[in-house]
Amino acid sequence: MSASPDPCALLLRRAGFGATMAELAAARAQGYSATVDALVAGLSQPDPGADGIALPALTPPPADYLQLKTTDPAARRAVLVAARAQTVALTNWWLARMVATTNPLREKLAFLLHGHFPTAVSKVRFPSYMYGQNQLFRTLGPGDFDNLTQAVATDPAMLIWLDASSDKAADPNENFARELMERFTMGVGTYSENDVRAAAYCFSGWTIDLTTNSFRLNLRQHSAASQTFLGQSGVNSGQQVIDIATGSDASARYVPCAFWSHLAYPVQTDDVVVADLVGGYSANRNVTALLDAIFNHPEFTSAASRTGLVKQPTEYVVGALRALGVSGSDVLTGAAGLQTTLADLGQVLFDPPSVGGWSQNEYWLSTSAALARWSFASRLAAVADISHVADAPIAARLDAAAELLSLDGWSTTTSTALRRAAGDPETLLTLALVSPEFVTN
Amino acid sequence: MPPLQPAALDTATEARRRFNRRKFLALGGGAAAAGVLGAALGPQAFDALFSPAAAARGATRSPRTLVLVTLYGGNDGLNTVIPYQDPAYAAARGPLAIDPSSVLALDDGFGLHPSMPGMKALFDDKRLAIVEGVGFANPNYSHFESMDIWQSAEPTSPSGSGWLGRWLDATGSDPLRAVGIGPTMPVALTGAKVQGAAIPTGKLLLPGTASQQALYAAMAKATRGEPALLAGSASADANLLVVDRTLGPILNRTVDSDPLHVKASDSVALAGSSAAALAIANGGGGLSSGNVLATQLSIVANLILAGAATEVYSVELGGFDTHAAQANTQSELLTQLDTGVSAFVDAVGATERGRETVVLVYTEFGRRVSANASAGTDHGWANVVLVAGHPVKGGFYGDPPSLTNLSEGNLVYTTDFRSVYATMFDQVLGVDPKGFLGGTFPTLPLV
Repeated sequence: MSASPDPCALLLRRAGFGATMAELAAARAQGYSATVDALVAGLSQPDPGADGIALPALTPPPADYLQLKTTDPAARRAVLVAARAQTVALTNWWLARMVATTNPLREKLAFLLHGHFPTAVSKVRFPSYMYGQNQLFRTLGPGDFDNLTQAVATDPAMLIWLDASSDKAADPNENFARELMERFTMGVGTYSENDVRAAAYCFSGWTIDLTTNSFRLNLRQHSAASQTFLGQSGVNSGQQVIDIATGSDASARYVPCAFWSHLAYPVQTDDVVVADLVGGYSANRNVTALLDAIFNHPEFTSAASRTGLVKQPTEYVVGALRALGVSGSDVLTGAAGLQTTLADLGQVLFDPPSVGGWSQNEYWLSTSAALARWSFASRLAAVADISHVADAPIAARLDAAAELLSLDGWSTTTSTALRRAAGDPETLLTLALVSPEFVTN
Repeated sequence: MPPLQPAALDTATEARRRFNRRKFLALGGGAAAAGVLGAALGPQAFDALFSPAAAARGATRSPRTLVLVTLYGGNDGLNTVIPYQDPAYAAARGPLAIDPSSVLALDDGFGLHPSMPGMKALFDDKRLAIVEGVGFANPNYSHFESMDIWQSAEPTSPSGSGWLGRWLDATGSDPLRAVGIGPTMPVALTGAKVQGAAIPTGKLLLPGTASQQALYAAMAKATRGEPALLAGSASADANLLVVDRTLGPILNRTVDSDPLHVKASDSVALAGSSAAALAIANGGGGLSSGNVLATQLSIVANLILAGAATEVYSVELGGFDTHAAQANTQSELLTQLDTGVSAFVDAVGATERGRETVVLVYTEFGRRVSANASAGTDHGWANVVLVAGHPVKGGFYGDPPSLTNLSEGNLVYTTDFRSVYATMFDQVLGVDPKGFLGGTFPTLPLV
C-alpha cells in the first residue's frame, strides 16, 4: 500500500457508495472535515440525482385481498403476479438511486436501516408496503431513533413481517416483542423473558386496516392489562414499550454499536469506541448527530477501520458502477444482469434471509461470491468507459486504476499480477475490481 | 473423464498441494489431499488414491459422507415427530394439533407429520433415525444465539469457529473437504484457518481466457502480513480455482441431468436466480418457488455419484419461524424437506460409495409446547434431530421429553446435541470427536 491513505476516499466509501474521481477530487479540495459536514447536512436535504429515477407503479393490495382466497382465487393470483413484477421494478429503482445519488449519506442510511430493520418482500408480498418502509428510512431515519422505530413498527411491512398483524390478546405471539428488543433496539441478554411476554401483551391487537393500508389498533384483540416492562409498571401500549426500549441504557449502547459496526468495523457493545459515542447519542437519540460523531471519531480513519469491512454485495456492485461513471438510467437498462449478480452474491434487496438481516465480512468471502464478483467485473470492464486507464502509459496504468477506483494503492501480490495485465486495460480493470483491495473497505 | 490439468496454477499453490499429499500419505491423516486430486482425476483414479486413506483409518470403518441439512427459523419438532397419543399434546396445541387420523404412525405413540410420507418410508425401511429431546443446558430463545450454539458447538464460549470448521482446521487445508451449496457459507463449516468451499447452484464457468485466468490465479494469494479480510478475500479467490478445477467438470456435466428430477430452472424461474429463490424460501415460505432444498440436494447427489471426495456437504432451508398461521407454512416446508431428503437418499443409493452417505437434519430450537393465539408457536427449547441414510440404524434414540414437566413452557432436553455431533465424527467422518467438541460426549449407536 502507498504511504498516505486517503481519509476522504474512505469517507466517501463508508458514508456513501464510493466516488468518481471528480467527486473525490472535490472532497479533497474542501478537506475531510468539510466533507463530513456536507454529507451530514445532506441527510435533511433532497437528492436530485436519486430523485431523477422514476418510481415504478406500485399497487397496494385491494381492500378485499384477504377475502379473495375464498371468493376469487384467480384474482388473488393475479394480484400476486403483479406484485412480483412490481417488486423487481422497485428493486431496480433502489439500485439505480444508489448509483445516481448526489446525496449519498441519505441513501446509505436507508441501506443501513434496511439491514437494521430487515423486512422481506417474500413474506410481506406487496412492494408498495416495502416502498413505504423504505421511504421512512429516508424521511425519519436521520432523526430521533425512537420516532423512527415507532414508525417502522406501525408500518404495514413490519406488521406483516413479524406477525404483529395476527397478534391477539388471549395468548399473544412473541415475535415482534422479542425482535424489537434483541435486534432493533437493545441487544440480546439485556432483558428478561418476562419483558418479552409483557411486551407481547402490549402489542396485541396491532393490525393493518386494508381499506387505508395503515396501522389500526384492534381493541377487541388488545390486552389493556397493565404490564411491568423493563422495571416500569403501568405499561399497556406498544408505543410505551418502544419508548422504554429505545430510551433504555442498553439501547444507548446498542444503537451506536450497530452503526459503528456497519460504518467502521465490527465491535461489541462494551468496546471503548462505543463508550465514546454513548454520551452524545443518549442525549436525544438523534441519528444525524450519531453519524456526525462516528465520522469525526479519530478511530474512524484508523488502519483498523480502513481494513475493517468487506463491501456488502450492494456496496460492491454500486461502488463499481459509480466509479466507472455508469448512470442511473444505464443501471435500469442492465438491471436484470445486476440483480442476478446480487442474487449470486447472496444479497437481494428487499429480501433479506431472516430478521437477522445480512451478516458481515467473512460471510461475503465465499468461493461462490468470488465467482459472481469475477463474472460481474469482467462484464463491467468490457462495457464501461475505462479510458482513464487505457489512455495512460502502460507504466502508469496501475496507478490510474487505483485512482479510478478511489483506492490508496495495491499490495505487492496484487501489483505483481496487475503489472502483468498492464498491456490489456480491460483485463487490468477486471482484476482490479476483484482485488482484495477493492473487495474490502 | 480425462485427467484435468489446471490451465494456470501458481507454483506455490502447486507446491502446497504436493506437500499436503505427501503429508497425508505419510501420516494417514485423512482424505484431505485425496479429495482434490481424486476428484480431478476421476472416480477410478480417485478410488486408487483413496484406498490408502481408508486403510490408514482402520479397516473396520468405511469412509462416509456427511450431509448437513440446516433448517433456519426453528422447526416445530412437536408437529414433525408427533406424540399424537399423549393427551397433553392435543391439549397444548389445540387447533394446531395434527389430527391423529392423519398422522403417519411410527411406533410407541409417535408419528410423522402427514407431509412426510418419504420419511415414513425411510423409517419403515430402518434408514431413518429420530433422536428425541436434543438440546443443551441454559438454552435461550434467540434465533441467532441458538443457531450459533448449534453451528459452533460451543455453548458457553464461542470462538467463532464451526464444529466442522475445527475439523477442517485440524485435518488439512483442502477447502473441498467441506462444500456448501449457495452464495454464502454457514459458520458450521468455517474454521479459524480453513473455510469450506461454497458452490453456486448453476453452472460453474470461470470468465476470461486461460491467460486471464492465470493472472487471476497470480493475484489470488495472500500477501505476508496482510490484514485478515484482505487475506480472506485472496483465499476465497484461490479456493474458487480449486473448486473449478475439481468440481467444475462434474457440476457442468450434470447440471441438466438431475437425479432428483428437480429442474434448477423450475425452482429459480420466479426470481431469476437460485440465490433469490433461496432467499425467498428463507423469508417465510410466502411465495413458494419450487423445492429449493431439493435443488441443492440434487447438486450434492451429482457430486457424490460422480465420485467427488468431499466429506461434508451443507444445504439449507429457511422459513420455519412460524409464529402465526403455522399449519400451511410448516406443511409446505416439511413437504420440501421430505421429498428432497427421501429422493436424495434413494439417488445416492446408486453407487457403493453413495450408499455411505448420512444426512443430518437439525434446526436452532424447538418451539413452545402451547400454541399461541395466532395459530402459531413461539420460540422454544429441545427438539428432534433426524438422521437418514443407508448406513443408518433406523429407529428412535434418546428419551422423549415430558409434555407436562416443562420449563418456562418448554421441552427440557434429554440428549446433549454434541452427542449427535460426536456420533457424526466417530461413525461418519471416522475421527475421534474429543478434540472438536470441548469435552467428551457419548455417541449414539445410530450409524
